[in-house]
Amino acid sequence: MTRPRLGFFKFSCCAGCEFQTFYFQKHPAETLAAFEIVFAKMVLRGGAPEGPFDLALVEGTITEAWQADELKKIRKSSALLFAIGACAVNGGIPALKALAPELEVEGKVYKNLSPIHSIRPHPVDAYIQVDGYIRGCPPGERDLHEALTSVLAQKKPGFLRCAVCVECKLKGNICILTAYGMPCMGPVTNAGCDALCPTCKRPCYSCFGLMKQANAPALAKKFRSLGLSESDIRRKFTLFDADAALFSKADKLNED
Amino acid sequence: MYGNGMTGAPASRISDFLVPKASFFRWLDSLRESFSVVGPVAEEDRTVFREIASADELHMEYASTMLSPGKVYLYSPREDLFRISFGKDLTIEEPPRSPVQRIIAGIHACDTHAVFYLDRTFLGAFRDPLYENRRSNTMLIALNCSAASRNCFCSSMGAGPFLKAEKGYDMLLTDLEDAYLVEIRTERCRVLFNADATQSADAEVFRRKEEKERSALRTFTKTINTDGLDRALRENPEHPVWGRTADERCLSCANCVMVCPTCFCHDVVDELSMDMKTVRRYREWDACQDARFAEVHGGNFRARRTARLRQFVTHKLDQTHQYGVFGTVGCGRCITWCPTGIDLTEMAKAIQTRKA
Amino acid sequence: MHPLKPAKAVLKNIRQETADVKTYTVQVDGAFSRELSPGQFNMVGYPGVGEAPISFSSLWEDGCIGHTVRSVGAVTAFIDKLAEGDELLLRGPYGKGWPMDIAKGRDLLLVAGGLGLAPLRPVIREVLQSRDSFGTVSLLCGARNEKNLLFTDEYEAWRKKISLFLTVDEAVTGEPWGHSVGLITGLLDRVKPDTAGTCAFVVGPEIMMRFVCRGLMLRGMQPADIFVSLERRMKCGVAQCGHCQHAGFFVCRDGPVFPYAQVTGLMDGML
Ligand SMILES: Cc1cc2nc3c(=O)[nH]c(=O)nc-3n(C[C@H](O)[C@H](O)[C@H](O)COP(=O)(O)OP(=O)(O)OC[C@H]3O[C@@H](n4cnc5c(N)ncnc54)[C@H](O)[C@@H]3O)c2cc1C
Ligand code: SF4
Ligand code: SF4
Ligand code: SF4
Ligand code: SF4
Ligand code: FES
Repeated sequence: MTRPRLGFFKFSCCAGCEFQTFYFQKHPAETLAAFEIVFAKMVLRGGAPEGPFDLALVEGTITEAWQADELKKIRKSSALLFAIGACAVNGGIPALKALAPELEVEGKVYKNLSPIHSIRPHPVDAYIQVDGYIRGCPPGERDLHEALTSVLAQKKPGFLRCAVCVECKLKGNICILTAYGMPCMGPVTNAGCDALCPTCKRPCYSCFGLMKQANAPALAKKFRSLGLSESDIRRKFTLFDADAALFSKADKLNED
Repeated sequence: MYGNGMTGAPASRISDFLVPKASFFRWLDSLRESFSVVGPVAEEDRTVFREIASADELHMEYASTMLSPGKVYLYSPREDLFRISFGKDLTIEEPPRSPVQRIIAGIHACDTHAVFYLDRTFLGAFRDPLYENRRSNTMLIALNCSAASRNCFCSSMGAGPFLKAEKGYDMLLTDLEDAYLVEIRTERCRVLFNADATQSADAEVFRRKEEKERSALRTFTKTINTDGLDRALRENPEHPVWGRTADERCLSCANCVMVCPTCFCHDVVDELSMDMKTVRRYREWDACQDARFAEVHGGNFRARRTARLRQFVTHKLDQTHQYGVFGTVGCGRCITWCPTGIDLTEMAKAIQTRKA
Repeated sequence: MHPLKPAKAVLKNIRQETADVKTYTVQVDGAFSRELSPGQFNMVGYPGVGEAPISFSSLWEDGCIGHTVRSVGAVTAFIDKLAEGDELLLRGPYGKGWPMDIAKGRDLLLVAGGLGLAPLRPVIREVLQSRDSFGTVSLLCGARNEKNLLFTDEYEAWRKKISLFLTVDEAVTGEPWGHSVGLITGLLDRVKPDTAGTCAFVVGPEIMMRFVCRGLMLRGMQPADIFVSLERRMKCGVAQCGHCQHAGFFVCRDGPVFPYAQVTGLMDGML
């Protein structure tokens, strides 16, 4: 069997997803052996960015116009394309800049704004159709494994879509939201991380993004009752999901 | 149906004893040589059921735990079913049955009833060999409750605070301050029981037990009226309390069903190895509160949050034709661990009193 | 033996029915149950992909069973890519099938929408084989369009012994279509059930079954004489995983075929 040709592309992000895929996850060696790496900057010098690819993994938020053009080219040259990581899936940390006036944000980072050509940040599916989402920051082992093995087995991947709470309970963690009043985003957040943060007694930051059936307004109400301010709550819902423009999308999600 | 005879023959001889607590725990400790003894242990400010290294760790006066011992140790959150290998020939292997002999000590009346409920699922027309193996290798030492927690309503469900069933478990304890009333229910437990300083329990001891029960019953603050309850729910599928609770409070987070000791639902998942040579097929708890749970091609019978919440509540308080019993044992866990405190007894009351 | 342990099977023959539906003739290990009844199903799958409930579209014939599958999701799309000689896994038979004994000696009305014809095909085969055990037998069969009709090469043989009525939502091929156009309920008047003597087996999308059953009731049939086959998500087939639960019934064990009277008006259903 010929090995599927893999391309890994990075837009605005920390490249952590690529490191997760090729270095940090449980099966990096098997991954490198199972795929023909055609383009992936963190493991391969040069490479052939033009493809063609059996699988393209795209990380990062689209924050500049050339990235959108590039992305469309990748889509054309790839049989399958998965968005990987919070940035590519939900906008993630780079999308935080959408929450403040652009020039103000840019001025905080750069002295000279004239060479900066950034556009409003969006996840990759704002520009192209994707075949799957490997969520999380960093991407969860289970969904990553499912995505890669599904490509190898030529089947549809089955990603988790329930709440983090389900995985949290499978681990037997005492719920820090209910027992200790910590503002945990687990009840509205897509599972896949194996409840990483609550297991360490940290409230979930929602890096996997809101799940499809999330009832964000109801959790916001709960947070209010715990004494969180409106801006605290807003920050909780926008840390990784700013592009969803907080409650406008969340409201729609109320009745799925 | 209780216990399906899983715990062996009933005890044949006189089997009720008054045992000083110190002596009882010494006996339990001695069993650790041949059994994995699981019991309630205080960890930080919560009690959890886990294997003990000494009976000193036990915190028998615990209130309810987040997860029930039966669901964790007899069913199991996640468990391998098969290992399939592709080689020249495709082979399907069952993992070896666990040889562990276990004792669950201090399981409350409601949770013992929850085990009987799981028996109905896993030891019905189709018997699950993994559950069956653990059920028969596990001795249940039940404990009558001295006081109800805030959300307990087992007394309304006939599942507590004192255990009335005679079968399906091995031993029943009643706390009589410095001693336990020990009622042995199975022959295998009688054979094992050799605590020192025991005396056989006389009528006076049972009088004290009754008194204890009466005082425990006085501690309940939550009740539910089961009279015609299933019918009332069935006849009001569109009562506004369903939609209102679902919209305003339910997060679809599934904490309720994950902590429920009678919820038996699970998913079956295949995990392919990266080298494509083996598949691990396992099951793990699943939740009807998840939107995907009832999804089929071209539709989802419970796409609405309202429908999912109603499935949970009616599976506990209606749908009695499924097993001939209510699906709740009244342990109150779903109320305690719901982030927004949704209370199925309150929903039932709203419907029973026809209040909007 | 573990009730979930699948058996190996080999695809002996694959027949393309429509663009996305194929019928597989499957040879199963000798240990597989000999007692299959029409309306029952298998959990069919492949390791690493999963399992899906699939009805028998034919029972034992020449040492093989038949499954007719539409490619819609993970498992079915994977099966769609298999070739003759390939292996797959299955386990069963599961569930309660069509009540053939109740139908015997009576008029039988079969109503199939879309892929619903697959689980009725073993019924048709049984009727053809022991034609004298049944009264008038009619089959009403609906499909989205002519291209979606299943088992078309068998119709002629069927017509010799039972009446067959076809309808499509719309005719699209431009070829002359000598049958009805419109919803399947439109065909009900063609058969005029002898209300006391008739027994009806209905299977298709739940919304279609709803209107067919109502139509039959309006024509005087009793709910106890109407049987429907329900589809729910299934993971185990043995009343343990809970996925198929419908208002307290396990569709995998108590169904998939139910008397209409038992399942009409239940919450989360359309009947
Ligand atoms: C008793 C019974 C008999 C049946 N008989 C037959 C038969 O004879 N022939 C036949 O073809 N079918 C039959 N079916 C239907 C078949 O079992 C289902 O269509 C089954 O879901 C197919 O499994 P799958 O893995 O291919 O699809 P799945 O992957 O389960 O997908 C099915 C549907 O679920 C949804 N879905 C699943 N995963 C996702 C996801 N990740 N994201 C979004 N949506 C998703 C989609 O809507 C999709 O269309 C029967 C069903 C029952 C209950
Ligand atoms: S700790 Fe957070 S993720 Fe875990 S159950 Fe509680 S709310 Fe859910
Ligand atoms: S618990 Fe939340 S923040 Fe933590 S890894 Fe999981 S999804 Fe991300
Ligand atoms: S725990 Fe509460 S909020 Fe979460 S799904 Fe259950 S009822 Fe809804
Ligand atoms: S309430 Fe839901 S999860 Fe629990 S047993 Fe019933 S259907 Fe399953
Ligand atoms: S399919 Fe698992 S309970 Fe019916």
